[in-house]
Amino acid sequence: MKLAYYPGCVAKESGREVDLATRYVCRTLGIELVDFPKFSCCGSGFIDEANEVLNVAINARNIAIAEAAGLDLLTVCSTCQGMLTLAQLRMRDAAVRSKVDATLRPLGIDYRGTAKVTHLLRVLVEGVGLDAVRAKVRRPLAGMKVGAFYGCHLLRPADELGWESGEEPHAFEDLLSALGAEPVFYRGRVLCCGFPVQFVKGETAGRIAGRQILDAKDHGAEAMATPCPLCHISLDAYQGPAAKQVGRPLDMPVFHLPQLVGLAFGATPEELGLARHLVPTDAVVAKVPPAAR
Amino acid sequence: MASETVSVPFDVYRYLPGKDAAPRYQRYTLELTPHTPVLTGLLRIRDEVDPTLGLRYSCRSAICGSCAMQINQKSRLACETQVGPELARHGRIVVEPMRNQPVLRDLVVDQTPFWREYAKVEPHLKLDPRRPMPAGKPTPMTPAEVERFRETPRCIACAACYSACPAAEADPEFPGPMALAKLYRFAVDPRDTAHQERLLRIQPNGLWLCLRCHLCTEACPKDVRPSERIRDLKEMAIAAQGATELGSRHAVGFKRNLREGGTLNEMKLVRQTYGVLGMLPQLPHGLKIWRKKPEVARKPHPIEGLDDLQKIYDALDPEAKR
Repeated sequence: MKLAYYPGCVAKESGREVDLATRYVCRTLGIELVDFPKFSCCGSGFIDEANEVLNVAINARNIAIAEAAGLDLLTVCSTCQGMLTLAQLRMRDAAVRSKVDATLRPLGIDYRGTAKVTHLLRVLVEGVGLDAVRAKVRRPLAGMKVGAFYGCHLLRPADELGWESGEEPHAFEDLLSALGAEPVFYRGRVLCCGFPVQFVKGETAGRIAGRQILDAKDHGAEAMATPCPLCHISLDAYQGPAAKQVGRPLDMPVFHLPQLVGLAFGATPEELGLARHLVPTDAVVAKVPPAAR
Repeated sequence: MASETVSVPFDVYRYLPGKDAAPRYQRYTLELTPHTPVLTGLLRIRDEVDPTLGLRYSCRSAICGSCAMQINQKSRLACETQVGPELARHGRIVVEPMRNQPVLRDLVVDQTPFWREYAKVEPHLKLDPRRPMPAGKPTPMTPAEVERFRETPRCIACAACYSACPAAEADPEFPGPMALAKLYRFAVDPRDTAHQERLLRIQPNGLWLCLRCHLCTEACPKDVRPSERIRDLKEMAIAAQGATELGSRHAVGFKRNLREGGTLNEMKLVRQTYGVLGMLPQLPHGLKIWRKKPEVARKPHPIEGLDDLQKIYDALDPEAKR
């Protein structure tokens, strides 16, 4: 499998542990990742709020870059996945299409709408398949109770971009089981992490993140995992302020999805950038029995 | 052909504030065909098993919007949710009152907060008395004008969106999806003469607390798609008065930020949103993040082909250059 790798801004910069872990996982599974230094940020949903057509054009350009190389795109962020897919859908509207085409064509950018945009979670569950994932597990996450946290833009609006139910998905939990972990089901797993209002009203963002973490904790989770680096910012980097808002200690280690897969494949914490988290992951990682020789 | 009946366990939320010490769940098991609506099951419980069960309903046809509740944690109309698929996914039917509104009794909630927000957006046509609509004559509209509010008038005010909304749950300042979708409906109605006035009032009144999580759009039984119309309102509000709030400053700042290098410059975005002085309260926690992730304070390398990206901006958003 060969894919155009769209890391998104966070994985390139402050969340580069996502990039480390993704490359480790794909290397292990024999997925070839092709880098494109031309890719821009997806706009993260914020540009969409300010100028919808501009947002579509920016992402049509990203998709066209992969299309020119004849490749499908791999995303590692729920928000990137949502924005790129929405751009494809909006480009089916004749008025939007002609406006964007009129902008891109003179630049020699030819958007065809043929490339598939797929998040790593779906690639693992459907493209690679859980049996093939299971076959690479050298260090099963035996008994680790993990609360999956999906990230809105991977799921909703489900009729436009979901491949799973918008409210009752199970792909992530299926993957966790394949890694040997014990998935924890809780209501908050499909809710918002609070990130979009982090800048608007930090207390509200903290209250939202804090409630989801507490919900996972109260259902027995000893760790959480997310396929979205923006959710990770809310759940990990801003967990301190979130704990203040909900008035309870949280101490919840939060993994990026590829980190947990990498861990089960036998990667070391260093190879996965685990030391870059604000909430330490050491204790929960130490409980996992070492890889079989 | 009648289908076979199956045994359907209902776990129904029961609570009478002031009398019961705490809410409890009561199990009722009914024999029902899989296509039976949850509401029919609940009415059978009330009529044949337990007359004290409190619930609100009327038309039983997904028109009146009275019977919204949580069914296996999803906000739904009980009259159009069949027991079969719920049973298949969850093995039981957990029925709870809507969220974000205080419980009056069992499944009946006090909708005052929901209706208060609805009233605030003045959900009626505002006409200019100096330009009365010609009596007895229809107002002509173009197909494009009609298209803009194809979805929003379908709203039946069931409050399923309000119940599903994590922003309404976390912050009473957020008007909720329905009120904003209703506002949109009038802000694009070509007969309404108060568009500008409506748009000027929404930015400081919670518009930017929408999380664009799209849970309202999932919950809506009429496909009003409130989250998408709230997105439209955000763009319309910026066009009407510029970026006046932190939310709009963030959105516009993000847009300009990306034009410069193609990859987000995180530190600069903080400054673009808060201004230099406004950044100060962010500093202590920002430093904690910086210690682990020093890249937050670094200017990223510009992407290759930045010229192309900037030309796209020049064509579609010349304002972003400033």
